[in-house]
This record gives sequence, structure tokens and C-alpha cells, in this order.
Amino acid sequence: MGELLRAAWAIAAKDVLLEFRSRTAFVSALVFTALVLAIFNFARDPTAVSAVDLAPGILWITFTFAAMLGLNRAFGLERENRALDGLLLSPASRTAIYLGKVLANLVFVGSVEAIALPLFALFFNVPILPVLGPLVLVIALATVGFVAVGTLMSSMAVNTRLAELMLPVLLLPFLVPPVTAAVQMTARLFAGRPFSEVSAWLRLLVGYDIVFVAACILFFESTIEE
Amino acid sequence: MTPIEAFERARRRSAVWIGVGLLLMAAVYVRALVFTPVEAVQGLAQKIFYIHVPSAWVAFLAFGILGVTSAVYLFLKDPRVDLFAASTAEVAMVFTTAVLVTGPIWGKPIWGTWWTWDARLTLTLFLWFVVLGYLVLRTAVHEPGQRARYSAVLGILGALLVPFIHVSVYLFRTMHPMPVVLRPGKPTLPGAMLATLLFSFAVFTLFFVALLWHRYALARLADARARAEAERADA
Amino acid sequence: MPDNGGFTVAAYIAAAVIYLGYAIYLVRGGRAKG
Repeated sequence: MGELLRAAWAIAAKDVLLEFRSRTAFVSALVFTALVLAIFNFARDPTAVSAVDLAPGILWITFTFAAMLGLNRAFGLERENRALDGLLLSPASRTAIYLGKVLANLVFVGSVEAIALPLFALFFNVPILPVLGPLVLVIALATVGFVAVGTLMSSMAVNTRLAELMLPVLLLPFLVPPVTAAVQMTARLFAGRPFSEVSAWLRLLVGYDIVFVAACILFFESTIEE
Repeated sequence: MTPIEAFERARRRSAVWIGVGLLLMAAVYVRALVFTPVEAVQGLAQKIFYIHVPSAWVAFLAFGILGVTSAVYLFLKDPRVDLFAASTAEVAMVFTTAVLVTGPIWGKPIWGTWWTWDARLTLTLFLWFVVLGYLVLRTAVHEPGQRARYSAVLGILGALLVPFIHVSVYLFRTMHPMPVVLRPGKPTLPGAMLATLLFSFAVFTLFFVALLWHRYALARLADARARAEAERADA
Repeated sequence: MPDNGGFTVAAYIAAAVIYLGYAIYLVRGGRAKG
């Protein structure tokens, strides 16, 4: 077990370091986020629709697209120079490779989210501080869900010709339960409702995470078998 | 009999059954349109029900078979199972599309709106996307072993997704009740209507089996021919 | 009773096109594929 985690950590660290050095995907995700937030602001009539009504949806669309940018990058790194072969020849198990990739993606997406959230609160004047704790929990749970599935999907998509197109086509249906749950919970939180009201959605989200993380760990092996 | 001859025979036989299925479909049409009483409240549009609901039943059945055969493939790694799964996906796509086309045409006169995020239609929509992804993925991967593995993974994950989408829609609906104009729901059907519906179910299922059988025969034929080509090229 | 027979006709025709269309496509050999 320790072996597994150490290998995963090493792989994650390598990816994060590589991304940190080039920063291209990270910066484009941030720019994209700021753009989306600004455009949504200009797209609505502030007298007709209150920010608080649209805010949860906008937030999660932003997070999802940013995640997609990060996921596209995930296996793209290995694809060039066939570096994946090197990774496969290493003593790291397939599961360690998967977990390492998921971890690296979580760092990427999490960083974008950490910057996007305050920007979002600023642009839309939404009071997030009073509900910051539960909000962060919701964001974390939903992100784990779609990064886990997204990492698996991108490991397949990267081997196809139109990889950037294939990933959304494969992934989007799988985002519906976690993102719907996240939007509903976020909306309740912004409206100042007690968290207990959204326990059903929370259970859905946690159930999704458990089932899909387990399934992806189980099936990842099949996607990079040679 | 060589394999190719066997599959050619399967192809011919299943084609006959497809013909039978089509004739029976015509019989369903006649029975539903002419010999089944018109529903008092919803009018003629209610008859779309006799095509829409059995299509949905077959679509979900096909998707279930896709999920199971995907799992079986990962377990057995038998390429024939992969070809069967792929055949099921294609046929599933046809029935699912029919559900998504007839649903809104039924919805507009009955609910007053072309689309409603009701449980069945929403789930069907996302299944449609999953099957689409499956079929697109298959065209985008060329190595047969890799294609089979990727498809199987997607098939199983898709099957796992179904209960989660169902719960999502259910939770959403309970928190956002839709205005009820006319709800077709599940009233107890009078005898003649029930008989038509059951007849339609049987015919659609038979038609599905015939299509699947034929599609699988085609897949095996293509595969056997490709193998024969490869052997000739090697020799 | 509402006058909505047109929808019924549309739906039945659409379904027929889809199912008959696919059946014909298959029986004519589809595209040889796996």
C-alpha cells in the first residue's frame, strides 16, 4: 500500500512540476475562467435576473470547462515522445499511475478553482464567506468525482485522432450527476439554506464518488494495457 | 461449413426475420391507429404511446445488454463478445433515437411543450449521449484489441451511470415540481388498449432481436473476411 | 376531445422512417465493419 502511494505521489509530483514549469495550461484555464465570468455578467440583464439565481450554474460551468482544459493536458504530456512507455516500464503499478495522474489533475483543477472562486464572489457579489466551509466541501467532492472519471476518459481519448473533441463527448454524460448535485447544493448554500436540506444531494455525490473512483481504479488497467 | 458460410446463412435467416418484424410492425400500426379506441382526454395523440413506450423498453433493454456484454468482455477477452457488444450499441442507438423523436412529438400536444426534463426522457437523452460516445470511440480507435477494451470500459461505466442519472432527475423533480397540465402517467389501461400495448411490446422485442442478430452476423462476416485477407497477404 | 391527430401521424411516420430505414441499411450490408 505504501509502495503504491509513494509511486502515485512521485508520478503526481512529476506532472505538477512539469505543469508548473510551463504553466501554459494553467494560465489558459485562468484566462478562460475570467473570460467566462465577465461574459456571463454582460449576458444577463441585472434588473431581470439576480446574480444569486444564476451564480451556481455559472460557477460550475466555469469549473467544468477549466477541468476539461486540465484533463486534456493530462496524458498529452506522455503522448509526446512516447513517454508513457517509460512510465509503464517503471516499477509503478497501473493503479499508481492512475492515482498519480488523478492527484496531479486535482492539483491543477483545484488551483484553478481556488483562484476562480474569489473572482467569482467578487464579480457576482455573492456572499461566500459565511458558507465557505460547506462550499469547499461540495467543491472538493464534486471535483474528485469528475477528475476521477475525466482522468480515465482522457487516458482513452488521448489515443484517438481527435483527442480534444473525444474527451468532452465521452465525459459530459458522466458529469451530470456530480455537477447537478454540486449546483443544487451551491444554490442552497448561497440562499442561506441549512446544509441539512441538501443531504440527499450530498449522498448522491458521495455515492457517485465512491462508485466511480472504485470503478476507474479497477478499469484503468484495461485502458493502458499493451 | 466454413465460418463465412455460416455467417452468411445467419445473415439471410435474420434478414427474413427482420422482414417478419417489419410486417408485424405494420400490424401494430394498423391495430393502434384503427382498432384501438381513442383516449377521451388526450385524444389521438395518446396513440403515440403505443410506439414510444415499447421503443423505450427496447432501448433500455439494449443498453442493459451492452453493459453486461461489456463486463463479460473484460472478463473473457473474447473478441466475439466485443463484436456482439458493438452490434448491440448500434441497434440501441436506433431505438433510443426513436424514443427521443417520438417523445417530444407526444409531449407537445399533451404537456404543451416539446421537451420536459422528466425522468424517462432525460435518462434516455443521456443514454443516447453515452451510446454516441461509444460508437464514436469505436470509429476513432483502430487497433481491434484496444478498441474492444476501451469500448468495454465505456460500456460498463455507462451502465453504472444509469442509476445516478435516475436519482439526479428524481431529486431534481421532487424539489422543482413541474406544472402538471395533463399527465399521461400510468392510469390503468382498459383492456383493448392494454392488449395493443402488449402486442406492440412483443413485436418491438422481436424486431430488436432480429436486427441484433443480423447486425452481429454482419460484424462476424466483416471480421472473418478481414482475417482471411490478412492470411492471404501473409501467405 | 383535442384535435391533435397531426402529431400522431408525425410520430408514427418518424418512427417508421427510423426503423424501416435502419432495417434497409442493415439488410443491404450496412458498411462492413466490426
